[in-house]
Amino acid sequence: MKKVTIDPITRLEGEAKIDIFLNDEGDVADAFFQVTELRGFEKFCQGRPVEELPRIVPRICGV
Amino acid sequence: MNKLKVAIALGSTCSGCDVAILDLNEKILNLVEVADIVYWPTAMDFKIKDLEAFKSGDIDVGIYHGTVRTSTHEHTAHLLRERSKAVLSFGACAYFGGIPGLCNLSTKNEVFRTVYQDTASTVNPDFVTPQTEVKVGKFDLTLPELKDEGKALRDVIDVDYYLPGCPPTVMLREKLIPILKLVQGGELPPKGTVIASDKTLCDECEMKKENKSISKIVRTHEMIPTPGICLLEQGLICMGPATRGGCGTPCIKALVPCRGCMGPTAEVKDQGAKMISAIASILGVSEEKDLSAEDVAKLIDGIKDPVGTFYRFTLPVALINKKVGVK
Repeated sequence: MKKVTIDPITRLEGEAKIDIFLNDEGDVADAFFQVTELRGFEKFCQGRPVEELPRIVPRICGV
Repeated sequence: MNKLKVAIALGSTCSGCDVAILDLNEKILNLVEVADIVYWPTAMDFKIKDLEAFKSGDIDVGIYHGTVRTSTHEHTAHLLRERSKAVLSFGACAYFGGIPGLCNLSTKNEVFRTVYQDTASTVNPDFVTPQTEVKVGKFDLTLPELKDEGKALRDVIDVDYYLPGCPPTVMLREKLIPILKLVQGGELPPKGTVIASDKTLCDECEMKKENKSISKIVRTHEMIPTPGICLLEQGLICMGPATRGGCGTPCIKALVPCRGCMGPTAEVKDQGAKMISAIASILGVSEEKDLSAEDVAKLIDGIKDPVGTFYRFTLPVALINKKVGVK
């Protein structure tokens, strides 16, 4: 089975790749979009004073 | 003169640094006058294979922004180092770990627990978490390994130059072009050069400083600061004394206290410790003789989030830089 990998997906913020699997006829058998990183804002925003969050969460995406 | 080959690679990032480079506005024309961009996935359609295809030393200046957090980031960093004559660490994340470096406050398992189970919008009864290899039906899929900690670039590869800031302000970014012109002429700046001021932010801050003592810590939502007067003297925690200057103080000019994204000056190893020392030398100092131990504890309690405030951008390079999990 042939696999086409697009890594990384470009012109965006964040990291991801796409794996496309082709069957013997060369048609797409399945395709997977995979997010390849995690920063964990959900975790490290906990415990921060609420008035500070407007200065932390803009760094989720700066584009 | 030959144009420089410049590559822009990334780690764990918000890509605000990419936007910062684009935000040179018409001065980006001065950049393309001296340099050809040969790799920049955020702005153009480059793949990691394109970076791999270069030979050793093919790239003149490799720019890296973002924290090093995954096996892919490590691979990219090593590759960029090997393929580049000089490496520039761009922005707070690459220099000190930055805001994504706050991940070091928890273990990887705690992060997974919150992100993939406890958050209100998550339904994941089997606690499925990202694996480096997984079979979905008959398809084998792979993911990079998420490391236990976020790291600064210089703790992973040898770095030649640094440009701090989150993101680097326009006055810092504009300094990049004349430096690239020097590099183009074969004149490399000394290794370790930091493209910023050598002095602290307080040295360049225009706010009036008079009192050497503050009677309590005030949170930012509790007051509207008086313009023109040092924010720290007004009781707000402002990281100026522990922070490198050169950004032009845009936050302070908007009456928003500094959070230290420029990192410490060269002689300071630990930005947070420096700030704790600065606070200790002014908080309650004028009435110190009349304060009981309880009063002092109460004053210190006014600092609501010491680690998240004093180490907002520099936790991964601090003396105590991560939580070590219990096995």
